[in-house]
Amino acid sequence: MRSEELIGELAAGLQPVRRMASPWRQAALWLGLAAAAVGTAVLMNGLRHDLHQRMLMPQEVGQWLASVLAGVLAAVAAAMLARPDRSWRWALLPVPALLAWFASLGWGCLSDLARLGPMAGQMRASWPCLRFILAMGLPLAAAQFWLLRHAGPVRPLPVLLVGGLASAALCSAGLSLFHHLDAAVMVLLWHGGAMLMLVLAGALLGRPLFMRRQA
Amino acid sequence: MAAAQAGDAAAYDRLLRAALPMLRAVARRRIANAAEAEDAVQDALLTIHTLRHSYEPARPIRPWLVAICERRAIDRLRRHGRRGAREAPLDEFGETLAAPGANRGEERVASAELRAAVAELSPAQRTALGLAKLEDLPLAEASARSGMSIGALKVATHRAMKVLRRRLGVEE
Repeated sequence: MRSEELIGELAAGLQPVRRMASPWRQAALWLGLAAAAVGTAVLMNGLRHDLHQRMLMPQEVGQWLASVLAGVLAAVAAAMLARPDRSWRWALLPVPALLAWFASLGWGCLSDLARLGPMAGQMRASWPCLRFILAMGLPLAAAQFWLLRHAGPVRPLPVLLVGGLASAALCSAGLSLFHHLDAAVMVLLWHGGAMLMLVLAGALLGRPLFMRRQA
Repeated sequence: MAAAQAGDAAAYDRLLRAALPMLRAVARRRIANAAEAEDAVQDALLTIHTLRHSYEPARPIRPWLVAICERRAIDRLRRHGRRGAREAPLDEFGETLAAPGANRGEERVASAELRAAVAELSPAQRTALGLAKLEDLPLAEASARSGMSIGALKVATHRAMKVLRRRLGVEE
């Protein structure tokens, strides 16, 4: 078939469509959903007993704000990347906040080293971290991928990765509010590890959803 | 495009036709093969159609269309590259089997058809054909060997050839 004929057929079968909300609105919608879900989970688990103390430490507050910021900016970036005409540079939006967050955790590791002694003594298994981030993060990531499913034919992988990061960062921030982890190295390993798993799982599981729309 | 989102088929048709040269240029810049590039343009048209609700009217249409077309052209190149790596041209291997009979399938089918056609002839026709055409004997000798008259031999040979021609689909 010639392209001109294809155009004729497409135009002949044209149905009016409801215009999609702007990427800003989509990001806001998902962030609202994520805030409600994570907030509910935090309240159900109860805030950690030393939260008040923690929030008086500027480093802790900065760390927490950086994680929230990374999640929010990643959500905006994913919504932008899902549109074909937006620049790929949106993918860089959450990077500074993410770097600040992990740098702060790294710095925390060093100060813990001075305060608490060798790292090996601070390590424990913390499965609840992993469980919460995956159990909370996967449905949130799924909701986001469904919202941004128009990215399938355009930029599937970047949207899956950045979108997964948004879920992971917000879940990690929520987790920090109720789960008691003192040592920064634990946060780095368990939160960071769980986030990485979530991002990878999201990319793997989200791929079929995106590819299906490409046919 | 905003009109097309609302269902204006004429505006949509005009828009896509006006964009077609640009889409072709984008695809050709990526893909050297003209037919393959045209396929990429059609892929792009289908994607544009599927994603038409995601276009934001406040933004220029051209980058949106170009980005989609670039994407489809790259996809097609990748797919083509993958397929090219798995496939090998067939004719190079067409006649490389070692057994002498293995590459002569068509000849054998043809001879089997001929044999079946000959089997349908009457015994007199078969004899006449064998003596006069295959052994190429003079009519007098063929008549002596078969015990048929020269006239009968001529008729039988002629009829046998006619039957074979018809059976094997040769135009008369």
